[in-house]
Amino acid sequence: MPDHLFLNISGSSIFDAASPQAVRIRQLMIEFIIAATAILLLVAVLTTYISVKYRSKRQQEEPKQIIGNRTLELWMVGVPLALVTLFFFRSMATMNAVLPDPAGQHPDVIITGHQWFWEAVYPGTTVSTANEIHLPVGKKLLLQLDAADVIHDWWVPALGGKMDMIPGRNNYLWVTIDRPGIYEGACSEFCGQQHAWMRIRVVAQLPPDYAQWLNREAAAARMPQDALARSGAALFMESTCGSCHRVRGTTAAGIAGPDLTHFGSRITMLTGMLENDSANLNHWLTDPQQVKPGAHMPRFIFAKDSIRSLTTYLEQLK
Amino acid sequence: MENKLMIKLVVGTEAMFFLSLIMAYVYFSLTPGFTPQQADHLDLRSTAIFSIFLFSSSFTFWRAETNFKKGNMTRLKGWLLLTLALGLTFLVGQGTEYARLLQENVSIGSSLFGTSFFTLTGFHGLHVFAGLLVIAIITGLTFAGDYNRSTSSVFTTVGIYWHFVDIVWLLVFGIVYVFPHLHKITG
Amino acid sequence: MTDINLVPEPQESLPDLSVSNDQGILQWISSVDHKQIGILYLWLSVLFLVVAGSEILLVRLQLAIPNNHLLTPEVYNQLFTMHGTTMIFFVAMPAIFGFTTYFVPLMIGANDMAFPRLNAFSFWTTFFGGSLLYFSFIAGGAPDAGWFNYAPLNQYNYSSSPGIDYYCAGLLFAGIGTVTASVNFVVTILYYRVPSMSLKIMPLFVWMILINSFLVLAAFPSLNAALAMLLLDRQLHAHFFSAVGGGSAILWQHLFWLFGHPEVYIVILPIFGIFSEVFPVFSRKPIFGYSMVVGSGIAIALLAFGVWVHHMFATGLGNTVNGFFAASSLLIGVPTGVKIFNWLATMHGGAIRFSVSMLFAIAFLIEFTIGGLSGISFAIVPIDWQLTDTYYVVAHLHFVFIGGTLFGLLSGLFYWFPKMSGRVPDLRLSKWFFWLFVAGFNITFLVQHALGAMGMPRRVYTYPDLPGWGILNLISTIGAFLMAAAVGLLVYILIKALKKGVIATDDPWDANTLEWTTTSPPGLKNFDRIIPVKSARPFRDYKRPADADWKTNPADSITAKPNSHGK
Repeated sequence: MPDHLFLNISGSSIFDAASPQAVRIRQLMIEFIIAATAILLLVAVLTTYISVKYRSKRQQEEPKQIIGNRTLELWMVGVPLALVTLFFFRSMATMNAVLPDPAGQHPDVIITGHQWFWEAVYPGTTVSTANEIHLPVGKKLLLQLDAADVIHDWWVPALGGKMDMIPGRNNYLWVTIDRPGIYEGACSEFCGQQHAWMRIRVVAQLPPDYAQWLNREAAAARMPQDALARSGAALFMESTCGSCHRVRGTTAAGIAGPDLTHFGSRITMLTGMLENDSANLNHWLTDPQQVKPGAHMPRFIFAKDSIRSLTTYLEQLK
Repeated sequence: MENKLMIKLVVGTEAMFFLSLIMAYVYFSLTPGFTPQQADHLDLRSTAIFSIFLFSSSFTFWRAETNFKKGNMTRLKGWLLLTLALGLTFLVGQGTEYARLLQENVSIGSSLFGTSFFTLTGFHGLHVFAGLLVIAIITGLTFAGDYNRSTSSVFTTVGIYWHFVDIVWLLVFGIVYVFPHLHKITG
Repeated sequence: MTDINLVPEPQESLPDLSVSNDQGILQWISSVDHKQIGILYLWLSVLFLVVAGSEILLVRLQLAIPNNHLLTPEVYNQLFTMHGTTMIFFVAMPAIFGFTTYFVPLMIGANDMAFPRLNAFSFWTTFFGGSLLYFSFIAGGAPDAGWFNYAPLNQYNYSSSPGIDYYCAGLLFAGIGTVTASVNFVVTILYYRVPSMSLKIMPLFVWMILINSFLVLAAFPSLNAALAMLLLDRQLHAHFFSAVGGGSAILWQHLFWLFGHPEVYIVILPIFGIFSEVFPVFSRKPIFGYSMVVGSGIAIALLAFGVWVHHMFATGLGNTVNGFFAASSLLIGVPTGVKIFNWLATMHGGAIRFSVSMLFAIAFLIEFTIGGLSGISFAIVPIDWQLTDTYYVVAHLHFVFIGGTLFGLLSGLFYWFPKMSGRVPDLRLSKWFFWLFVAGFNITFLVQHALGAMGMPRRVYTYPDLPGWGILNLISTIGAFLMAAAVGLLVYILIKALKKGVIATDDPWDANTLEWTTTSPPGLKNFDRIIPVKSARPFRDYKRPADADWKTNPADSITAKPNSHGK
């Protein structure tokens, strides 16, 4: 397994900011939390104090029947108004800094949400891949976000805000990743049965490592290395797998399912659901609906040996 | 008195409903999904004639109301029947327009234009139909001897609804039929 | 509304005259009496509360541990969709309408609503809508695309089970019931008040209902249009929401949220009304800033139609659009929040009695502030970009829906139960219910703020074993079961009270408004005579003539009319 992929798996909270975009948002969040806590404390303290101090005592006279106080009422409106105005300006500044208009810029990667996987295409290269998306650190990247079927949403908390992927339109996110690592995220717009298992893995690499990856990824699929894999490859090509899955360099050119050209080099499979190993792949190919119910992959009734050969072939697609 | 407020509130909420439908129509008309050729399918002239029938029915219903207030029951019945006839003619006209469009393969599922057109005019037609139903009922009750006190608010109330339906048609007819043709004339 | 002699109601059936005072089931389902219809609404609400609550208990069981396999995603998605849809349309709204239809006529000195048969129609249409929605479970599957049901997932080719059609039909019917009820409320309030009750001295609950009804009339058509369009898409292959046919998925969101945002104010304004009754009674002081409460209610209703895009900040509409709606959303927080201070100021200097109703009111102050603050955070666009569609939203919405709406309904329930039933619920058990429910509620939902910030999206049938996710979800599940136990206790308390509770007096709370001047429960005809109404607290004026509001604060009341009956 390539070692540089294990540098660090970041915590996936919005406070583990690993990009200037996420840092700015975190800053604003902290400002807000301070203001909100102050207000909540004010209300809680007032409520408790007043409830205790003005408890009804036995045989009490009716208290003074005050109906209002214009000055106090003005403060009650004025102070919140001032606070929200302040936050409006802070939020506009942050919003424009974090997501300026992409205005005709060329995206560094085009990510398309499908039910229930991510397709990634790197313009200017022949690279097309799925689910584990590599990006270089230190560069301000423009992500173009599209949808193939229903609305999906791209969200990696450590890298900044989220953006919907809406069929029929292109949306954009800017991100500059500070340091290498694996950043977890998730699809954040309910997209059907397996929305829960549309996890995101961004593998951020130092530019030389990234360049290396990109080169490898651009290459056509490796030829099968042994007899078992060869029979798996043959089975793959004749069993209509290629009508949904692309394996560059072969006749398989489908785009309905994830690109499998370098499937073997991915750490997870089924969009973050399982470790990518033979046992899991075996289960999946035996009966997809048992593993990820609702997935659009039909059940091919393969013999056990066929599954073994397919598994071997796919695991060799590094 | 309460009845007038009640029907005005109903008219208000239905106006919001038509506003949503009209906004969707206008929004779609600005997208590539709507082509100018599609507006050519519409028969402006005959629909204009049928629209005149509908607008006249507002006039006849108003005459019915005034006669009711004056206690002229016979005239009331006449004007009510005329209103029904005019309203029905409008619906028949709409029906023939629909039939022709369906023959030309413009249906609710054929294109974005078909979708928006049939929905907007269809819901209007439904409201016309509901109005005619109510007018038919009160006509029947009038013939049966009801409403012999001129203080009843039924006609005013139904009238407010009926005039509303006409005003909506004025708007819809203008946006769907007239406006695209204006564009063609003025280039 | 006065000393006129009226025909007394029959105490026994008069079969020869076809007059019956039978109170059997046939009488209940054919009733047009606003009090019975109000009670029917409330029972409908309790029934659906138990159903929707059970749905979410199953959901929370599935979420108690990571990678759980208790429920399939197919079942899970139906459960969470039905939970949300049911709670909003068939629990919150019927409960609010139940109290409204029961108490608005009483509070304004009327004997029924303007259109009693329309009132019954509204209830039964709502009931039918709910039944239709639930019929989907046995007709091929319940809706499973979330309670806001986005396009294009809601299109036939992505959701071929009939669930979504039932969602559309059920909500269309419920919507008709809601709109007709609101028409009835407006006409009743504007035409059936005791003549001396001008708008300036109307009870605040009634004010909030008046404002709210206009909100309903303006907002529901947008939903109805969207549902109709969706049915046309699904059944007749129209192209409103499918990008493939030239339609727009975003159009659904616009239409839905044009309804959806006003809807949240629809379920909270009446609650503000209830609290504006409860706080003065149990603090023995008038409401602080009557006109400010009314004014902020009107401000909310107007602004409510200018904020809907804050549900769409992450759809890429552009920073100008985002900026406008950020401003309006921040702005609407002001009239919403300012009332908290009105109520605190009402309590201040008062003589507070801790009835269960008041306990919920006091708890509401804090819980709703939490919910309101988390809501305001979404108006800060970049924060929304991180936290929208996560468990932070789930936390926010439950703090306002439960900590706001439900606490208000419970406060109203304990306040008005003696009047409606003539019985007093067991005080000790009721306080147990309060503490158990509040504890369960906070345990369930406070941790969800953290889960959202930690990256957990909403509407997921399971989640990976990331650090902290499992334990926080487990805590949330435990809290949910505490809430369930509390609700079970509540049902027991209510039934026990109805069967053998202490008999209630007419005015158990020493309250201020007209409903407390009749018997508990009121007779079929609410009032034979009505006390003079010259201020916002007519009953208090009647009980304390020396300190009557219209004497001490004439600017906020009307002066006595020459021919009003005095003492």
